[in-house]
Amino acid sequence: MSAPVVTRELRGGYVRGVDVLGGVEFTVGAGEIAAILGPNGGGKTTLFRALLDELPYRTGTVELAGRPAYVPQTDHARLDFPVSAHDVALMGAYGRTPFYRRVARADRARADEALARVGLAEQAHARFGTLSGGQRQRVLIARALVQDSPVLLLDEPLSGVDRPSAVQIERVFAELQAEGRALLVATHDVAQARGWSRVLCLNHGQVAFGAPATTLTTEVLSRTYGDELVILDGAGQAVCVSHHEHEH
Amino acid sequence: MLDLGAPYIQRGIAEILLLAVLAGVLGTWVVLRRLPFYTHAIGTATFPGLVVAGPWGIPAQLAALACALGFGALLERVQRLRRVEPDAAIGLLLVAALAIGVVLASDVYESGAGVDRLLFGSLIALTPLDVWLTAAAAVAALAANAALRRSWLATGFDADGARAAGVATARADRLLLLAVAVAVVVSLDAVGALLVTVVLTVPAATVRLFEPGLRAQQLGTFGLAAAEGLAAIWIADAFNVGPGPALAVLGACLYALAAVVAPRRTLAVAA
Repeated sequence: MSAPVVTRELRGGYVRGVDVLGGVEFTVGAGEIAAILGPNGGGKTTLFRALLDELPYRTGTVELAGRPAYVPQTDHARLDFPVSAHDVALMGAYGRTPFYRRVARADRARADEALARVGLAEQAHARFGTLSGGQRQRVLIARALVQDSPVLLLDEPLSGVDRPSAVQIERVFAELQAEGRALLVATHDVAQARGWSRVLCLNHGQVAFGAPATTLTTEVLSRTYGDELVILDGAGQAVCVSHHEHEH
Repeated sequence: MLDLGAPYIQRGIAEILLLAVLAGVLGTWVVLRRLPFYTHAIGTATFPGLVVAGPWGIPAQLAALACALGFGALLERVQRLRRVEPDAAIGLLLVAALAIGVVLASDVYESGAGVDRLLFGSLIALTPLDVWLTAAAAVAALAANAALRRSWLATGFDADGARAAGVATARADRLLLLAVAVAVVVSLDAVGALLVTVVLTVPAATVRLFEPGLRAQQLGTFGLAAAEGLAAIWIADAFNVGPGPALAVLGACLYALAAVVAPRRTLAVAA
């Protein structure tokens, strides 16, 4: 059986002839979490758009096990919309529900289950816009769980979230990994990436891909982040200090 | 005293109740999806069509619909160029449509006093055909809302996430814009090219101040639009003023009142 995510010579961008991604080539297997590291504007979100087949100009090959579930950054969602956490989770089932049918009872149960899984069973009927940033992130993850895809793309899901939410999200990641799903997680947290299965470093093109232990060298991180990198001598580790405003 | 037995009053009442259905069903989406300016622009864009409809001997609604759809298609084309901001594109095309309409009305066809009717409509000078067309549009709006409510909701909430979940967001958006264009066209006889937002935006925006759920928002908007419309007919009949402008003033006053008494926004701000 082939891996859930395979790309070969993936290139593309938003304007013809101007590639934001250049020659990206990687494989993420079932039950693996791949960290996508890179500076802001380095191509992390563009890679997700390419995987979602939404990039206006794309060349190369993308093989996916199914339509990926996508968890965008929370500030993409409208806070003033009259939707509850349960309504948002249920949106994960809209794609498979014909317009002339009601959402299936099984999918409603799945939405309840997904909210319980991210620790928000009691907030199911709370208005999305009244939840905290971390809770909102968890609701968007619940929507992806309801979509029930073998591949999940998560755009900085741990940026700016409170500690309880981060713990809950990491626990869900571990469960999804155990279920054999492939997770691609855009992040600025190098230390966190060291704990995952694979790491892809992007800076307008692929800098490196592989196991964290062998890939996350100071040299690779320097090429990935340039001036945004700080070396901690005592720990002997390279740590990215991003200018991203949600970063902690 | 309002003569409820008079056919023109009966038609006015039927029309406003049907327009209230459009206000409740589609006006809610116009406000939630931040389309009031588009709605106003579509209304204004129909003006040249209304001016030429009489002299050319074609039905006014057909000419208005052609203008509205042409405006929508042109707008999409201009916005795709990505060199012009969406609101700027709407503003430019709106002014162009109004200017063309004014030139046609004043210099080509010398429409005279009829221009007032085209711009501001009249709830008490409707034909049975006007009412039947509005009824058909109201039924179509209810059907579209039933079929597309989920797509409109998911797309408006988070278009990227909705697309990834398999929602046909572009098609849903186009159908919403088409539904709004049709609602605008059938509103023209009652409120004219310049006042369509009085029906399709103001009541929904007033109810929205209280942050109700979607269903409550749609029902509340229907009730408010119906009440405002009936009051406007009474004011027009009792004081011999235009029902369209009366409706506009009433809607604005109620919006102001609601803005004062509505609870302050409780939703979180973006982190």
